[in-house]
Amino acid sequence: MTPIIQTEALTKVYGANGAAVHALRGIDLTVEKGEFVALIGPSGSGKSTLMAILGCLDLPTVGTYTLDGRQVQGLSGGELARIRNEKVGFVFQSYNLLPRASIVRNVELPMLYAGVGRKERRERALALLEKVGIADKADKLPATLSGGQKQRVAVARALANNPALLLADEPTGALDSKTGAEVLDLFRELHQQGNTLLLVTHDPSIAALAQRRVEIRDGLIAVAEGVA
Amino acid sequence: MASTGAFRERLIGAWEEIRENLGRSVLQALGVLLGVAAVLGGFSISDSQRKRSAEMFVKMGGLDKLNVQPKAAIKDGRPTALQQANLGLRDADAISGEALQADAIQGVSRQKNTRSRVVSAYADQDRQVRGIGGDYIPTNGYGVAQGRGFSNTEMETGAPVVILGTEAANTFFPKGDALGQSLRIGDIPVTVIGTFQERVFRFREGQGNQFWWRNRIIAVPANLVQRRMNGDAYRRVDQVTFRIPDLNAMSGFAQQLKNLVKANHRLQDDFRLDDVAARVRRRQSQGDVYDIIFMLSGVLALVGGGIVNVNIQMASLKERVREVGVKMAIGASGREIFKGFMTEALLLTALGGFAGLFLGVGFSWIITKSIGIPLYMTPASFVWAYCMAAAFGFLFALYPAWKASRLSPMEALRYE
Ligand SMILES: Nc1ncnc2c1ncn2[C@@H]1O[C@H](COP(=O)(O)OP(=O)(O)O)[C@@H](O)[C@H]1O
Ligand SMILES: [Mg+2]
Repeated sequence: MTPIIQTEALTKVYGANGAAVHALRGIDLTVEKGEFVALIGPSGSGKSTLMAILGCLDLPTVGTYTLDGRQVQGLSGGELARIRNEKVGFVFQSYNLLPRASIVRNVELPMLYAGVGRKERRERALALLEKVGIADKADKLPATLSGGQKQRVAVARALANNPALLLADEPTGALDSKTGAEVLDLFRELHQQGNTLLLVTHDPSIAALAQRRVEIRDGLIAVAEGVA
Repeated sequence: MASTGAFRERLIGAWEEIRENLGRSVLQALGVLLGVAAVLGGFSISDSQRKRSAEMFVKMGGLDKLNVQPKAAIKDGRPTALQQANLGLRDADAISGEALQADAIQGVSRQKNTRSRVVSAYADQDRQVRGIGGDYIPTNGYGVAQGRGFSNTEMETGAPVVILGTEAANTFFPKGDALGQSLRIGDIPVTVIGTFQERVFRFREGQGNQFWWRNRIIAVPANLVQRRMNGDAYRRVDQVTFRIPDLNAMSGFAQQLKNLVKANHRLQDDFRLDDVAARVRRRQSQGDVYDIIFMLSGVLALVGGGIVNVNIQMASLKERVREVGVKMAIGASGREIFKGFMTEALLLTALGGFAGLFLGVGFSWIITKSIGIPLYMTPASFVWAYCMAAAFGFLFALYPAWKASRLSPMEALRYE
């Protein structure tokens, strides 16, 4: 079976010459279908940079990345957008919901870009909101929701097009521990349903929930442990 | 997905975006709205003026006239021998002029005027008496109200008959029974055979009657003046008017006529030609300047609105950039973002433009009302004003849309 994520010698350099920052310095990472992987490491070690590349939000400076059997380098902006739309679901620390769009429209949006019809979009969005437990908030605006609820909306949105890969960059970083735990329960549930999950955290207790932990230091994989 | 379906989706999406960002959208639409109103207002005000002028020219008896008049008399010093021997403008000029382009000319009229004492049982005044010949009455916009016009025989023989304008009729026969009465012009008794319709024209409401002096007319056959009042051996006349409906033929004819009359007059430039249409065209081209000014102010309003739009977009850039980042992260391509921005801008332009048409009508109505002329608007003005707004909306939407579409998703998400 082809892995969902396969990278070889991923390098990312920000800036150039004297001011260059080597955020990633040769990452080899493989994630199989259905895995739940925690990406840990101190602040500034390159976790978010790696997540951005894995989510096709950014391209590596050097190295190859194959997502669900498809080489990512050399693809056009439009093709990358399509991959982000169909294969990847992103959950951010800061939720990144559209503030003036209703909850249900936030969840519908990825399906709109995928060309799903109006009616089906609405049905699926409502079903997803049901799944994350906030169906009653469908017509509310994001600002009226608590942090935990917002993150549930973000998860529902990430799941909208049935992605091959769920990426979460410190999804509980802005939440108190109780609501954070609830959101983590949701991720665990999603994993049990067969989703492939990659979760960034610097909290060891959260990392402990994952099948496998990958630690990054200074743009390199320092320790990889757990079931491969 | 079918492209029409995609467009519909985008339109609905744009509508939702507009509703979600109402404040920003209203401000954007406002620029277009004011621009369209200004352009439409400008167009309709100048259209209304023009229409009113055209109405006035019709009432004047048409513009398609070429007047030939003797040059003003020599005021200083004594006339030279040649000038004294001058033949002056004569009947013969009218006749040979008409022969030049008989098919283009639809009418020729002559005037031979005099000032004289005019006496009735009720009034005794020094008045201008207009000796008219040919088609003077229709070409000058007169119509006979009571009685009749001059017959050919009366014109030929210079019969002692007169037709009065309303003012003249009222002055000399205040009881309103002018018809058939007798009047003395100088020593000559003449009979009133008709009265003219009253001439009234007010360019603006509330203005005085600009045609009032036309009602003072005391018209007799030109031959009567020539033979019995103020004539000379050469049968000189005061004015010859040719009517040429084909305005293109006019300038050619004017040149030929000039040569002909000059040859007839011993190569003296003792006459002048006055092409009424050309005179009006000159005046209208001054009016065109106002058109351009109106148009420019409309365009300026649109440009101003456009710049305001760009500014609003730039002011809300931070928020919009974040939005663009989020949309890109969940799968929107640069193309999609571009189309989204454009659709939104065009929809706003369409809506703002539509509202602007209403405002423009109101605006034009108020201005024409305050000037006091009837409002006249052409469908073309609406189309133009709207198209211009659409073009400007499109133009000014391009830059922000292009900017947004070129953002990289990561940059956009991190934008602070
Ligand atoms: N856009 C950027 N331009 C320059 N340097 C950057 C940029 N993004 C991240 N970096 C740098 O790259 C390194 C890795 O950052 P990041 O991936 O955000 O780390 P983490 O998420 O592990 O905290 C840091 O030193 C950061 O300052
Ligand atoms: Mg980070």
